[in-house]
Amino acid sequence: MSDANPHGYARLHIGADPRALPADVAAHVDGCADCRRFRDEMLMLDGKVHAALELPLSEFRRRAPPARRYALAASVVLAVLVAGGFWLFRPATALAGDVVAHVEGEADSWNSHQPLPAAEIAKILDTAKAQFDSPYPIVYGYPCPFRGHRVAHLVVQTPNGTMTVMLIRHEHVMRRTEFSQGGMHGVLLPAGAGSVALLTRDGEVPDALAADIVSRVRW
Amino acid sequence: MNTALRGTTGSGTFTRLLEMLRPDLMRFAWWLARDRSVAEDVVQETLIRAWKSRDELKDPAAARPWLFTIARREHARLFERKRLPTVDVEEVEALGDPALATDGDASLLDLRRAIMKLPDEYREPLVLQVLGGLTTAEIAAELKLTQAAVLTRLFRARNRLRTLYGLEPAEDVE
Repeated sequence: MSDANPHGYARLHIGADPRALPADVAAHVDGCADCRRFRDEMLMLDGKVHAALELPLSEFRRRAPPARRYALAASVVLAVLVAGGFWLFRPATALAGDVVAHVEGEADSWNSHQPLPAAEIAKILDTAKAQFDSPYPIVYGYPCPFRGHRVAHLVVQTPNGTMTVMLIRHEHVMRRTEFSQGGMHGVLLPAGAGSVALLTRDGEVPDALAADIVSRVRW
Repeated sequence: MNTALRGTTGSGTFTRLLEMLRPDLMRFAWWLARDRSVAEDVVQETLIRAWKSRDELKDPAAARPWLFTIARREHARLFERKRLPTVDVEEVEALGDPALATDGDASLLDLRRAIMKLPDEYREPLVLQVLGGLTTAEIAAELKLTQAAVLTRLFRARNRLRTLYGLEPAEDVE
């Protein structure tokens, strides 16, 4: 306790952290009516500060623009996905499962119809460190967190219907792997050092279309 | 991953920790950035970095301050990398940011505005302390300040907010 200005010293600590006073300050407060009142006021204020900092996240979700809302959902999905250490030992099927889980987490992505501006697509690809010369309109895109990295999560309108394309630079698969899960049909394809996941909800992914898409991906 | 966190791999202790802390992480990021989009970017980057660095978290009980410090650094990194514009608090208010929504408690809204207008040097330690649960020593280490400087900043932050409730500001401290 400062001998020169015990009240100032006490108030500094009360103002800095009214809930955790050092023993000497607490002892001073017990015997000083002014400082006790100051502490009580600060405790009241602190409760209100705590309430004020607890922002209403429900309002965030309600008003967030779609792309951001999906991104937030993606971060939740990431948190769910990352825990499964088992996928480290079952690369292809586990990767497919993670892709499906991620896409399910952004279910509204299938409902987009408006082609994205080229600049926005370029930004997404740049963030995901991928290049993709899409032959089809891209109607949804976001550089989503996935397995600890950013991947380009795109939805394209093909002649065969809507297709999700995920450009996964950091995960390599050895061979083509088809999968069906959650009402989606998909295929994982090697693409250089990375991989590409294609998913549809309307039947299989045509081989020629898949090959065409993969041929247009660079890292 | 350390033994404590490795115990449950299927559902994932670490995942549950992230899930549990994500809302406060989002709040913290918003109070740093005062911009919803930037805050969401900060949270996503924080989750990615936390996952990559999960071995560093030795004690799950320390997850909150650990994540908050990652978020703070991610915000600083993002700010530096993207050269984010300085936040215009009046504009945030004018746009009706959802962060300023309340359930009809006008005094809470006033307090949020007042906190939002605090200088960064006062607001940041306050949010680290109240939301993040960091001690003044931890805040000092994170902000590379002396503990005395942190005490002063926290005191001044709260002192400025007193007037909202009709309380006299205390005499300033050196």
